[in-house]
Order: sequence, then structure tokens, then C-alpha cells
Amino acid sequence: MRRTSLTISGLLLLLTVPALPQSLRLQPPAKVTAGESFTIASSGSGTATFYLLGSSHVAKRTIHLGEDVLVPGSEVSDSGLYQAVACVASDCSAARFVVAPSSPARLGFLVHPSRAPVSTSNVINATVLVFDQFNNTLLAPTDVDLRFSPPGAASYDRNAATHRGIAWLEIGSTPKQGQFQIVASAGSVTEPRIVQQVASEACGLRLNGTHNGRFVRVQTEPVRDCSGNPLSDGTIVTFTKIDSEGRSTVDAPIKKGVATAQFELSGQARISVACGVVLGNELSIGGRP
Amino acid sequence: MKSKLHLMECFQTLLLLGATILCFSHHSGSAANAASLPRVVLDADSIAPRPIEQQTGETVTHAYAQAWQDLADSLDSNNSDLLSEYFIGEAKQRLARRISDQQKTGLRTRYTDHGHKVRAVFYSRDGGEMQLEDEAQLEVQVFDGQRVIYSDSAAHKYLVLMTPGADRWYVRSLESAPNNAF
Repeated sequence: MRRTSLTISGLLLLLTVPALPQSLRLQPPAKVTAGESFTIASSGSGTATFYLLGSSHVAKRTIHLGEDVLVPGSEVSDSGLYQAVACVASDCSAARFVVAPSSPARLGFLVHPSRAPVSTSNVINATVLVFDQFNNTLLAPTDVDLRFSPPGAASYDRNAATHRGIAWLEIGSTPKQGQFQIVASAGSVTEPRIVQQVASEACGLRLNGTHNGRFVRVQTEPVRDCSGNPLSDGTIVTFTKIDSEGRSTVDAPIKKGVATAQFELSGQARISVACGVVLGNELSIGGRP
Repeated sequence: MKSKLHLMECFQTLLLLGATILCFSHHSGSAANAASLPRVVLDADSIAPRPIEQQTGETVTHAYAQAWQDLADSLDSNNSDLLSEYFIGEAKQRLARRISDQQKTGLRTRYTDHGHKVRAVFYSRDGGEMQLEDEAQLEVQVFDGQRVIYSDSAAHKYLVLMTPGADRWYVRSLESAPNNAF
């Protein structure tokens, strides 16, 4: 008698639960490409609320179970993990799927520095980030070609494969100053950058002086680096005079390749010149007390 | 003994920094944690081509933890204003788009964050970009109104690009990745 009443109450309980669709289930494709439309198979009958949950997009709409659910490419433009969810009343079924990035369409090409001294090893570093048209990072290794065109020298190529969307390399600058063009390409996408190669430190810095009464006018010879590149106008040259009155310093910019300064003399004086970390020659000049 | 010393160092750091906990777990790793911040442990052993400085490691760890807290708060409250502090560029735009979609559809997402194991793998020579791989332990619940329509508790992988700003590091790109991605 007790068993019979339990069975009846169990049946009543079952009858009070809303009828659920038979095997509510979604079956997305194993792999989807960003920006491409696709369908998700659904099973069951009746209507359900469909949700698409992505990292940057969510969608909600009514679907007919048993029919394929069309997901337009615009809803899966970002790569990564998505969840497709179908709910009937409080019963929900979810399925995960992965959206893979599309083909390379954009390069983030970062070259540092924008001005590099000549003949310096590993001074230029280039970083390439490979994205598809939706700015998704291409996780799969992608070949990146880099074409280097240094000033006054033949162009050359280097290749690098991306790792998690990034490829990087370091190169040295060449001896001649001028524009060093670097072009990165992946697939049909190219991205150019320019590094301005500038003269390095001064080399063989020489100083001449002209004595004129109480004054001496000093002038450098054309200031060049060790590769013969003239240092840029505006580069500071420091002249230092030491005499009986002590030390006197003048900072002068290079103008038209040379730097000049004038000192008042007080007896014997020694005048030296420096540019950056480079010291030039020293002049000894006798003055009138 | 060493671990005791380490705990002492952490405790001292705690006292110094108040609510924000930043302490070093070892030479090249750091951890960020606080009462309200998700736990982030940064491992920078395999970073290249530039090594990470100690202070940079601390700053990145802290910024990433803050970013995840802001992400969780913004997706739960559907308030994209909360993204302005630690997100920038593509990451900010994508999250803002999701919040906008959630507002339109009446959804919201609740994250219960159980921590992030983060590996710094790329740091450019000029210090302008840092790439991280994050394995996050997250509980995710998506609500339609008051009803949970999706819940999940699992490890989630993210590929992250961070860039420095004037006074902090920003999350510039935050992309979910398949479990076998790294």
C-alpha cells in the first residue's frame, strides 16, 4: 500500500514538471574561422532561446530546435572560445567551440630606435605582431619576411617565424648614415619603417687656434665619426681653457661641420676639445699678461 | 628558514603597501594579491629578449590583477566605465562591446576568480610591449535576468599583451585561447 502511494506521488511529480524537449542539444562545428558564417546543429523540438557567448560579443535569439542555427560571421569576428547555449524554460544545454583567427591581414611593426648611430651592433630591434583583419593574434607560427635596405649598401633579407603572434630580431647598423628602410611582410601584407642612421661618436677630433691679442679663436676641423660621416649640426662640442685664472668652459654647437669658440687669455693657457665621450687634441697658447 | 624569511619580507611589504599586497615569490617571479584583488602569480623565467626588472614585475602583476577585478566588476554590473583604469586599445574595445551586447540582451556575467598563473614570455628590447600567457582558474556564471543560463568552472587560457603608460601598465590585448594553445 505504501509502495503504491509512493509510485502515484512520483507519477504526479513527473506530471507537474514541464515537458522538456527531447535531448536538447547543440553541436557546433569542431573549428570555426573568425568572420565566417557557420551553422550549429540543434536537436529536440519546439522553440528555444539561443545564446552565443564570446569574449567580446553576446547574442540572444529564438531558434527552432531540430533546425540548424545560422551564426553570421559578424558574430564570431573575434577568435577564442565561445559557448553556444540553448534554453527551454530553465533547462539549458551548452556547447563550446573555438574560433580560430583568419589569415594575416595586419602587421604591428615596431622598430626601435628611430635614430641609430652607424656601425653599432644589435642597435636596431624590430618586433612584428601578426593579426588577422579582425585584430586577432595569429597563434599559429607565421613566416615573416624582413627586407633591409641600408643606405649605400645592398639590400638583404631575413626571415623569422612568429611565436604566439610575435616575431622579433635585432640587427646592427651599417657604416653609412642615411635612411635605413626595413619592410616586414607576411602573406600579402607589407609594412615599411625607416630608421635614420646618424653619425656615431666623433673620431680624430682636432682643434686649431688663432691667437689675436688678448683673445684666441679656436675651431675644430670638420667633425666626423670613424666611418667618415659628418656629425649632425647642433651636436655640442665642449672647449675647455685652463690658465692662471682657472678653468673656463664653452659649449658650442657644430655649424656647417665645425664648432668654434673664443677665449680671453691670461698668460699661458691650455685649450682642449671634447665631443661626447671623445677627447680631441690640446693646444698650448701663450698670452699677454 | 628561507621560507620564514620570505614570509617576513612579504609581511613587511604588506605593512608598507597597506591593502595592496605585492611580494616576491622568487628571483624572477612576483605575486599580487589583496582582499579584493584576484591572485596573480607571475613567472618571468623564460622571458625574452629583455629581462624583466623587479619593479616592472611588481607593477605588471599588480596592474593585471587590477584589470581582472575591473573586468569582473564591469561584466557583472554592465558598466564599461570600470574598464578605463587598466584596459586600453583592442582589449578595452572588445570588453566594452561585450558589455554593450549584454545590456541589449539583458545578460550579465559573474566571474569568481580563483587566481592566475601568468608566464611572461616576451618583453621587447625597448620595453614597449610585454606578452603574457595566463592560465586562469575561473568560475563563470552567465545570467539572463535572474536565471543562470550558463555556468562553468575550469581553467581558461588567455594571451595577453601589456604596454606601459605614464604611471602604470595597461592590458592592450586579452584574447581567450584554446586549452592546447600553450
